[in-house]
Amino acid sequence: MSIEPINLELCTGCGTCQDICPVDVIRMDTAQGIPVIKYRQDCMLCQLCVVECPANAITVTPGRLSPVSVSW
Amino acid sequence: MTETFKTDVLVIGGGMAGLLTAIKARQQQVEVILVDKAYAGKSGQSPYADSLCPFNRKWGHNLEKWLHAVNVSGEYINNPEWTKLVLENSFAIYKLFKSWNIEFHKNPDGSLFKKEMPDGGGSTVFFHKNQAPQAARKEALKLGVRIFDRLMITELITSDSKVIGAAGITAENADLRIFNSKVTVMCAGAAGFKPNGWPIHELSGDSDALAYRIGAEVLGKEFTDTHMGNRKTPAFIPFAEQMKAGAGPNTGPKFRRILNAEGDPPHFKGTGGLWLSNEFEIHAGRGPLSAEMPDGSMMEFAGGTTLGLASHKTEGIVPSGLTCATTVDGLFAAGDALGNMAAGAKYPFMGFAITHACVTGCMAGKNAADYAAASPRNTITTEEINAVRQRTFKPLNRKGGFSPRWVIDVLKNALSPYFILYIKHEDRLRGALTYINFIRSHLLSKLIASDAHELRLAHEACNIVLNAEIKLRSSLARKESRGCHYREDFPYRDDKNFLGWIKLKDIDGKMTTLFEPVPEKYRPDLSIPYERRYTARIPGELDHFKRTL
Ligand SMILES: Cc1cc2nc3c(=O)[nH]c(=O)nc-3n(C[C@H](O)[C@H](O)[C@H](O)COP(=O)(O)OP(=O)(O)OC[C@H]3O[C@@H](n4cnc5c(N)ncnc54)[C@H](O)[C@@H]3O)c2cc1C
Repeated sequence: MSIEPINLELCTGCGTCQDICPVDVIRMDTAQGIPVIKYRQDCMLCQLCVVECPANAITVTPGRLSPVSVSW
Repeated sequence: MTETFKTDVLVIGGGMAGLLTAIKARQQQVEVILVDKAYAGKSGQSPYADSLCPFNRKWGHNLEKWLHAVNVSGEYINNPEWTKLVLENSFAIYKLFKSWNIEFHKNPDGSLFKKEMPDGGGSTVFFHKNQAPQAARKEALKLGVRIFDRLMITELITSDSKVIGAAGITAENADLRIFNSKVTVMCAGAAGFKPNGWPIHELSGDSDALAYRIGAEVLGKEFTDTHMGNRKTPAFIPFAEQMKAGAGPNTGPKFRRILNAEGDPPHFKGTGGLWLSNEFEIHAGRGPLSAEMPDGSMMEFAGGTTLGLASHKTEGIVPSGLTCATTVDGLFAAGDALGNMAAGAKYPFMGFAITHACVTGCMAGKNAADYAAASPRNTITTEEINAVRQRTFKPLNRKGGFSPRWVIDVLKNALSPYFILYIKHEDRLRGALTYINFIRSHLLSKLIASDAHELRLAHEACNIVLNAEIKLRSSLARKESRGCHYREDFPYRDDKNFLGWIKLKDIDGKMTTLFEPVPEKYRPDLSIPYERRYTARIPGELDHFKRTL
């Protein structure tokens, strides 16, 4: 559901995902040079991180962690 | 840690409107700072758009016919001067995209693919999603625009009713940033209530909210966008797949037709795909609605994918004249943030929104630069900065209260049922307004945040609640139905009283509704019988006329 744990074997620690996530879900752990999914409940499944990750290390799957209300 | 930056032109938002504003202003040799809450060139709605509507007589287009089509689809409350400006300047945008090597969809023989408008006049062309904003960012940086990413502007700063800058917080640490500008251009996009699926997740109505708070007028909020989602995965649209698919009209959802539970197409047919025909079916009890897929399978829809968004290119800050200036001195607006009524009461055709964002961005850049060149810079006092700091960080300093996430969820639960903002009625709108008023008066004043991320959410919650109130009040004020605004208790267009724009403005702390009639020269020919003036029938309308005739 939503952004899945980042594949750290592929991740190069470039920080693109942190920079482009429009809702600030990902933060870089600067000490370790790896991205951390810090606010997963706020991931809104836009998939920009999937598109922009140069190492193809990110997957977003359907379904939000927080409840979804539909209009009908 | 607070830092202050001085600039001639401050651009808020880095979608296509903001980036082109920055580029055009910079080309006038003034200093430009662009600030984006997310990442300029990769956020907002701009990366997702893939269609443009360049007007070109050599392609057989006819401006008069095209303008007429927008006038009819916008149910006669578009502002034809703005519609014309957008179309007349649209081919330059196509040429600009070509110069940036943006890929366009081609026919098998290599010629440009053009989709003709159903009503004639013009055509739409299709380009590769996600390329143009990034090309624009590169261009802006090359020209020397200073870009600050991951910085949410939380308020506009004024002195003697003139905008003299803005304040914002960094995503990382919520550091306060003050921008002192000669002119500020609002390009922070449209409004959403953090809905399912449609990528307006960081667009919390900041454009309208920030401008409204300092006295600008806002309009068009009663017209509702009606994009739908897949019931199985309401919050997920396969954008990654679409963005990688290349240029073409087929990168979006593919389905043959929409059917109701009885296996029929929706009973009410309007022009364009984003009318309220589906909501009418649901309300009549003929749901669920499903899409018939090319392989014959059915995909069931859910509504509310764009909750909070007004029909593309209806909402925004009211301009003053045709320069992208607003009614507040020192504040310009462009793109989705500009409420110039270029489209009218309903989205006219594919390509208009991004074309509009680009054209108005170019105009705003040039005109704001001219304004800056002729204006002094007013200083922002230390006192003012201290007051801003107090306001900005309140949620971080409170010990107890309400989480902004929860407040947004509560608001969404109240407003997402289709019978509030899609199929409207005075009783329900008033009920919702009572609820929203409580959220505003009781919950917003007690928002809490434990870190920078939540502080940003707290500011977003305040903007969302304000937008909700504006939407409800605009919807109450328009006691008729028109375009994407449907009132069950007034199921007809009322040309006598509502050929015009409902504008909301803060007057002495009170949200006040103003009405501006469409200028006489743009009014429809009222001697044409109603049924021909408005060909899209709406539920209850004929009964109403039977009763009143
Ligand atoms: C899926 C999808 C498909 C679309 N397809 C088409 C199409 O094919 N054709 C078409 O014409 N239109 C289309 N549209 C609509 C079109 O994309 C928008 O109308 C257009 O991109 C608006 O551009 P903009 O620059 O005004 O705003 P946006 O691109 O939305 O940019 C707004 C920017 O402001 C920033 N921002 C917001 N608040 C703040 C703040 N407080 N401080 C700092 N920055 C802030 C955001 O991060 C964002 O980068 C589509 C939209 C979507 C979502």
